[in-house]
Amino acid sequence: MDLSGRFGARSGDGVPFREATALESLHLGGGGEEFRQMVPPENAGGFTALLELPPTQAVELLHSSSSSASQATTLHSLGTLSFPSNPLLMERASRFSVIATENQQNGNVSGETTTTSSVPSNEHIKTEPAETETCDQAAVEKQSNRCGKRKELDKKVKSSTKKKSKSSEENEKLPYVHVRARRGQATDSHSLAERARREKINARMKLLQELVPGCDKIQGTALVLDEIINHVQSLQRQVEMLSMRLASVNPRIDFNLDTILASENGSLMDGSFSEQSYHHRQLQQPPSQQWPFDGLNQPVWGREENQDHGNDHNNLMVGSASLHPNQVKMEL
Amino acid sequence: MHMQPTSSMKEEFLQKWQMGLQIYRPLIDNTSVSERRKAIKLSADVAMASLRRGTTCWSRALIQKTATEDNFLVRQMLSGIKAETLINKKLPKVMCHRKIVRRSKKILRRRKSRSAIEEVAAKARKLVKKKTQGLRNVVPGGEFMSNDVLLIQETLDYIVSLQTQVNVMRSIVDAAEAGSERTAYYLGKLKFAIEDG
Repeated sequence: MDLSGRFGARSGDGVPFREATALESLHLGGGGEEFRQMVPPENAGGFTALLELPPTQAVELLHSSSSSASQATTLHSLGTLSFPSNPLLMERASRFSVIATENQQNGNVSGETTTTSSVPSNEHIKTEPAETETCDQAAVEKQSNRCGKRKELDKKVKSSTKKKSKSSEENEKLPYVHVRARRGQATDSHSLAERARREKINARMKLLQELVPGCDKIQGTALVLDEIINHVQSLQRQVEMLSMRLASVNPRIDFNLDTILASENGSLMDGSFSEQSYHHRQLQQPPSQQWPFDGLNQPVWGREENQDHGNDHNNLMVGSASLHPNQVKMEL
Repeated sequence: MHMQPTSSMKEEFLQKWQMGLQIYRPLIDNTSVSERRKAIKLSADVAMASLRRGTTCWSRALIQKTATEDNFLVRQMLSGIKAETLINKKLPKVMCHRKIVRRSKKILRRRKSRSAIEEVAAKARKLVKKKTQGLRNVVPGGEFMSNDVLLIQETLDYIVSLQTQVNVMRSIVDAAEAGSERTAYYLGKLKFAIEDG
């Protein structure tokens, strides 16, 4: 099995989520291989563009992988992400192919890190789920730069516990597993899904941040969530306050919103309550709309003025009549 | 998408709220302040939830919650089939027993060597999880949203609806309070006039 110059049969989670099932079918179980390659032919364009391989060769690799079960090389597949570092990938991939030939029998993908002299032994790279673009790029650069320690730590921070636990199960030998091993896992549909999910969450969190005042300045999800919770609670408290206030106002008024607005009309005649006009304009009731309650048909306060001049006292009387029937009777 | 409350939303809310309040009208004389407050709030909540016409999780949960307090009101306010389906629909039986899940996860999680950075990351994650649980407690029906994406989406919509509710209620309350002041003022004037005359 000549693996030189060939890229691996297995890989994993770079492909789009919908490809996941296709990927599953291409999975090659064998000899402790931990990855499966996923470059479905229709996607070959995307991947090969990344790899700068001629499409036919990639497909050939893909299909050849089904016959060569013990391939140790893996494709650093990150199909959904654009790769500015294609040349690095190429270099790395070629290195892997060299490694693969040496480690054909070694089913452990992290053999890349163990045996070859071209790769320094202190290159420990933790497998991390590629959750962000920067993560993936860091992964690629990491491997090519041969100084994984710092970047691996960065990646560690971004990983999730779920992924960590999976990686620990996957790596029998080494405490540190190569990044690609991680992504090549049978769980690549999971990592794909997780990445998609995370992106969705981030997008929606941004919307929330815009909605809640004072949230855009805050860094960090936990604090933003705090703000959101506070905002929701304050809105709920305001509703309670307002309903209490409305209930404390004279009983007749709360349940007759039309009379409120009618009596308000009277108050506006004096022009002393600018606030109400502001609030009612907030409501912005279009004049053409039919309202079940006449009193509500107050589109523009100014317009009603003329009509209601004569009705001024009537309205007030109506308002007060509903307020205190007994009291008004006494007055009159 | 959802941004600020629109005037059409406010109008619809006002309409529905009024309809709810009308249901209570025959009972006003016999009520105390707290009963009235409850009636006001319940009708406002149902009005707010009905704006969404059953499309969001929080609105359905809110309607169901209100139905436990005043079934009659909810039935009247939501005319037709919607009332039946919404009220009678059972709440999801399988609630994600978070404590149990968490404990079993802890057992499954293997002990690994923890570096400092790992611990920090783990703590950050724990904190975020706690906050999302806090958010679930605040948003109606949040306990049934095991999906984080759904939770945030629902929160967005809920906040916008709450804002609408608050805006309209505030306008009405301000008007009512001013109205009652004005009425009291005029009544006082009348009284004064009568006494003088």
